Amino acid sequence: MPEFRKDPIIGRWVIVATERARRPSDFVPHSVSDEGAAESPCPFCEGKEDDTPPPEIFAIRNPGTKPGSPGWQVRVVPSVSPVLKIEGKIERHGRGIYDVINGVGAHEIIIETPQHIYNMADLPEEQIANSITAWIERMTDLGRDPRFKYAMLFKNYGLAAGSGKIRHAHSQLIAMPVNPIRLKDELVGSRQYFEYKERCIYCDIIKQEMDTGKRIVADIDGFIAFAPFASRFPFEMWVLPKKHGADFSSLPKDKRPDLARILKVVLTKLKKALVDPPYNIILHTAPFRMPKAGYWKTIDEDFHWHLEIMPRLTRVAGFEWGSGFYINPTPPEDAAKYLSEMEP
Amino acid sequence: MAELRRDPITGRWVIIEIDKAKNPSDYEAEKRVKREGVCPFCPGNEKMTPPEIFAYREGDTKPNAPGWQTRVIPNKFPALRVEGNLDRIGVGMFDMMNGIGAHEVIIENPDHNRELCDLMDQEVEQVLWSYRNRCLDLKGDKRFKYILIFKNYGVSAGASLEHPHSQLIALPIIPKRVVEELRWAERYFEYRDRCVFCDMIHQEIDERERVIAENKSFIAFAPFVSRFPFEFTIFPKIHSAEFSYIQKEEVVDLARILKETLLRMKLALKDPSYNFIVHTSPIDAKERADYHWHIEIMPRMGRSAGFEWGTGFYLNPTPPEIAAWALREVSL
Repeated sequence: MPEFRKDPIIGRWVIVATERARRPSDFVPHSVSDEGAAESPCPFCEGKEDDTPPPEIFAIRNPGTKPGSPGWQVRVVPSVSPVLKIEGKIERHGRGIYDVINGVGAHEIIIETPQHIYNMADLPEEQIANSITAWIERMTDLGRDPRFKYAMLFKNYGLAAGSGKIRHAHSQLIAMPVNPIRLKDELVGSRQYFEYKERCIYCDIIKQEMDTGKRIVADIDGFIAFAPFASRFPFEMWVLPKKHGADFSSLPKDKRPDLARILKVVLTKLKKALVDPPYNIILHTAPFRMPKAGYWKTIDEDFHWHLEIMPRLTRVAGFEWGSGFYINPTPPEDAAKYLSEMEP
Repeated sequence: MAELRRDPITGRWVIIEIDKAKNPSDYEAEKRVKREGVCPFCPGNEKMTPPEIFAYREGDTKPNAPGWQTRVIPNKFPALRVEGNLDRIGVGMFDMMNGIGAHEVIIENPDHNRELCDLMDQEVEQVLWSYRNRCLDLKGDKRFKYILIFKNYGVSAGASLEHPHSQLIALPIIPKRVVEELRWAERYFEYRDRCVFCDMIHQEIDERERVIAENKSFIAFAPFVSRFPFEFTIFPKIHSAEFSYIQKEEVVDLARILKETLLRMKLALKDPSYNFIVHTSPIDAKERADYHWHIEIMPRMGRSAGFEWGTGFYLNPTPPEIAAWALREVSL
């Protein structure tokens, strides 16, 4: 019998198929490694610094090297085709019944390695830890800009995950004057739970996942990765710090290598189990609270930052877009079993 | 420069590219490859599908034999089971219940090669009547709260069979997107005593910039806050919360506007894959003053979404004003 499962945070129901569940080998492999290479030379490689738009916003560099030149580990540059523009005031206006804001925001690219490697799974841990540092530096800096409410950090790996043609590991950061709706749903959902129970819903989920163990993919050094109970997609995973924390950018320096380690482990498992599938990673963290101090009063207690990893194995039918209603052919318990047994 | 626009129906913000907008010719056309093999939906192959639930048939033809014009069957690989109880339970902090529901396929026409937009008006009307008939029947089942009617056309829209068909799923829950629409519409109504959709229709008729087609009972326009390039919606002009209350003359007008807009889309965008979804109010006794049923049509234009999945924050490279213009201007 298929099952309806409800996401306890935002209340979305998902159908999880339990019979004829699809195993990794049942998905038509769509390997990112088989996608055609870009024709032009890679602008993200070391030595090609002039091919990205100036200025270099941030970099972890070898001592003595100059911005915009070789000798870096991680580099942050403005997007070559930004969806939002950094200059200008936020102007809200109405157009009849509609609301409009001019497109002010920041759109930055974090180049995660000087070498031409595409999958984050293939980067050394130190390199991933460097990227995490760059993420935190940039989010902290953008958070000081009172125009912005949220910085969305994400990674699109592979064409089917919405990536462009550049096959060089990178993530993107978009700072914007509004909160994304999905985040708002989570904030509201976890606040309601907290009001009722006086506990963080994510902490409760982590506890239950650790008790049952059925959906855990990895549990390493203070971080946990599991397939959520109401997974929308086959092999969807969440990565959370076990210790409560609402704001990703306050992750202490000494914990960053641990996050890098679990990320490398789960991404490697994913690559092996599903033959290098396309995927998205999205960070869900507390919004910037400066513009409206006190507005999200309880957030530090009731919200818990996490990363969502979503492999792109099926074509999402449009009715899922339009209805917000998902059918998942692989139960998360099965997904977790395949992934946890996979040697990293 | 881009613009952030907020959808008055769900509160969702969308980034719309204005300056470097993408036109129809900026998108790559999808290749259509004809499939080989026997089609279970073609006349003569009725035995390959589960027994029919409903059909429009010629004179004295028998069920599950050729001679039908529109045929409704249970999905052979249903996402849900129709028999059984819901048995709601809690698993620790999680809630779940059995996957009870109906999953049906509406085979729109016997002809394998004629899509909705290639049919005669009356044939499209018959498809719509089939939708309505199935809704009325399933509404009687107390286990169900919502009926979702949708169509996937083309491989990138998730269609697994080529023969023109749509699908219907009756659910014991209300999908999240519908809950959001209902909640926002209710808030708007509380504040203004008017239906937000009626207000939107008025504004679109006044401005005309985003209107694609219109007849006596229906209007098709690209929503001000389109998430996808060339997305459009069809609304009944007279307020009505539920699709299944559709009247006879409205079916005629809906068939015409649906066929016309699908044809415009096919010509302007080189036969793209698309999805459509009927958004209607949940099954309940109340005739809602604050909700307005509509059909949402979303062509699948090239680029896959990335972060949109996890954030509900969309980026649309083609402003709806340009989309509407391109769809309006194409000569039929």
